[in-house]
Amino acid sequence: MIEVSGLRKAYPGVVALDGVSLQIRPGEVVGLAGENGAGKSTLLKALVGLVRPDEGTISVRGRQVRLRGVAEAAAHGIGMVFQEQSLVPNLTAAENILLGCEGSGVRLGVYRWRRLRELAQAQLDKIGSRVDPMARTETLSFAERQMVEIAKVLAIEERTKEPPVVLLDEPTSVLETEEIETLFAQIERLRKHASVVFVSHRLDEVLQVCDRVYVLRGGQVAGEIDPATADAADLHRMMIGTEATGSHYHDDLHTPPERESVRLSVRGLCGDGFSDVSFDLARGEVVAVAGVHGSGREELCRALFGGRAITAGQVELDGETVRLSSPRDAVRAGLGYVPSERKVEGIVAAMSVAENMALPHTGALAREAQAVEEWIERLRIKTPDRHTAIGTLSGGNQQKVVLARWLLTGSLRVLLLDHPTRGLDVGAKSEVYRLIRDLSASGVSVLMLADSLEECIAMSDRVLVMKEGRVTMTLHTPPGAKPDPVELVKEMV
Amino acid sequence: MAVAAHLPDRRLLVVTAMPVAAFLVLLAALAAASPGLLEAGSLLTLADSAAPLTVLAAGATIVVLCGGIDLSVAALASLASVLLASWAPGLHGWAVPAVVTLCALAGAVQGLVHVAFRIPSFVVTLGGMTLWSALALLASGAATVPMPDSTPTDWAFTRLGGLVPSAVLVALGTMAALAALLRVTPLGRWVRAVGHAEPAARLAGLPIARIKVIAFALSGGTAGLAGVLLVARTFSGAPTLADSLLLPAVAAIVVGGTAITGGHGALWRTLVGAGIVTLLRVGLSYAGVDAAYESILYGVLVVGAVALTIDRSKVSIVK
Repeated sequence: MIEVSGLRKAYPGVVALDGVSLQIRPGEVVGLAGENGAGKSTLLKALVGLVRPDEGTISVRGRQVRLRGVAEAAAHGIGMVFQEQSLVPNLTAAENILLGCEGSGVRLGVYRWRRLRELAQAQLDKIGSRVDPMARTETLSFAERQMVEIAKVLAIEERTKEPPVVLLDEPTSVLETEEIETLFAQIERLRKHASVVFVSHRLDEVLQVCDRVYVLRGGQVAGEIDPATADAADLHRMMIGTEATGSHYHDDLHTPPERESVRLSVRGLCGDGFSDVSFDLARGEVVAVAGVHGSGREELCRALFGGRAITAGQVELDGETVRLSSPRDAVRAGLGYVPSERKVEGIVAAMSVAENMALPHTGALAREAQAVEEWIERLRIKTPDRHTAIGTLSGGNQQKVVLARWLLTGSLRVLLLDHPTRGLDVGAKSEVYRLIRDLSASGVSVLMLADSLEECIAMSDRVLVMKEGRVTMTLHTPPGAKPDPVELVKEMV
Repeated sequence: MAVAAHLPDRRLLVVTAMPVAAFLVLLAALAAASPGLLEAGSLLTLADSAAPLTVLAAGATIVVLCGGIDLSVAALASLASVLLASWAPGLHGWAVPAVVTLCALAGAVQGLVHVAFRIPSFVVTLGGMTLWSALALLASGAATVPMPDSTPTDWAFTRLGGLVPSAVLVALGTMAALAALLRVTPLGRWVRAVGHAEPAARLAGLPIARIKVIAFALSGGTAGLAGVLLVARTFSGAPTLADSLLLPAVAAIVVGGTAITGGHGALWRTLVGAGIVTLLRVGLSYAGVDAAYESILYGVLVVGAVALTIDRSKVSIVK
């Protein structure tokens, strides 16, 4: 059906796809697995024409194609069910399913509602969905809307007269267990009508649903796995590969935290997405919070930085109660935050390295310039000079500037890291790890949401496991006694 | 993304070279048509006529740098003229600082409403525009308020050494003072950070609300000062005295190369922009074009300049 060969896509500072080749055969369910930044999303986007590859080819049914958008991909029989749903909420399910390809549902520019309903129903029937085609989309549940999206992708078939390829990007991430079962039954049914590409973070699901699984790592196909003979541990091992060595994480620079000296004390913290969260952070301790999507860890991290409302509970910093009603409060209290969306929330792309680093700084300009130069040197930030626009640097160097922002004043007490290595290449990751080790040695406490389980375990002194907004377990992960990632996964789901 | 990364340099080149080139070309064209223009006397007269517009646009530029817009400046300047003319007999010299301070406060109030109730700045200042206009009408009884004694404003409409118009120095001084404020304090960096990427600025711990309120206060203050300059040269205040300067002021800001989307821009650009707008106005009247056509030109100018300077990486959907 689809043959991808030598696909390559590079962004400044990171190669998202580095020569990916794979095949999708008719009636097959193919899995894509890989850590964040492995290239799954970029590959899917390339298949629906949202990303144009730098090199390599995509062939559909033996004919090489150049896809320049979702519409062209649909014309070739490829459709995607987006993670963030793409339906128009104030239209009916039927209108959404046939949006842009109403066919005989429209005559003389006027909707023929009965015909529209029949056409939509035919698509919904393919997956045996009982969603009412005349229901307004916004009144449907998330799972129902997902069915509508799948039906919408299946409607492509009416135009191409060939079985389509349906790309499912993390379709289970916000579904309940029961809904997931239903979805899997639908995917089974889909085989008769289409080929399916299934992407999920949950390895057991990938193994359960797929006929074959491609494992991506660092933008390359690390291998292919047959679910009949492999288990989740095999899959995970292939995903993280061999880069998992102690030197990568600078284990030698690890310093034990000063347990008796509590830096940050969180008691009974509640807010939107999390409730009754209590933990202590010792001086120089690195604590990682593990949890799946929806566990509330992102929300918790945001709330601690004053970016989300805290409805109940107390936060103490070095024994003093602090009020965290805005990021400004948090910064003044000695907290720093590195957001996961670096390009949008971390940096001001059009401004210079110096301006970005000294953004919250209010001191004298001459001293500031000197401090900026010093940190550029200490962190080995690769930039022509401090006046260069930060947007032109690589992701790793941008991230170092964001980190340096909190080091500039020397008053940092607690650093909150939200996926600090997301989208960075291996070398840049290692440098960020080194910086975390240095900070911890200097007495700064770190709360971290890791990008991968391996990172989570390797970098931390302790791991808090969060589930449905609560801390369900605390795991000590000192050097030499690191738990198996697979153990941790069991606690998370 | 590769394009976006290189954008600042290319943008800067186009956006910087074009206004300066346009200014020089206009000046050359006018000088060719009327050779007397390049004499010091007529250049200074030209600059004098540009002064109120320049001051009016100065503070408003800072609001635009923040990513907002202040549509109330012209109405506020009109109100300032009425208040100044009414208060001058009683307050004498104190009337000027009183009016400027009051206008700064009015600007700050608009900023507070914008920030506290999260209402788009163009709506708040559109409301403000009608409010200040109405107040000016009420305060003046819908008539021109004459200044029986012009002593309090004489300093703003005189020629130093019999040559240099004081209004030009006021305009340049205002620009220089604001530019220094933005450069010496962190305010300039903060204003641009808010304009470029408010979420990032917020998470860097910047006092976003305070920055915006200050920007609007500065905009109100310079609008008041522009009103003072107008009173000085007309010896009276009037409820619609500065109203026709709104579009030229917005044109001066965007024609200078400051992006309406925020972040990109600078005060000196508004100086160049005000120069271009003034030269165009003079050029049109010299060519004998009806003044009614002027507004058409400003409209075209604003739309064209916005199209050229807008930061398209930031607006995927334009409403």
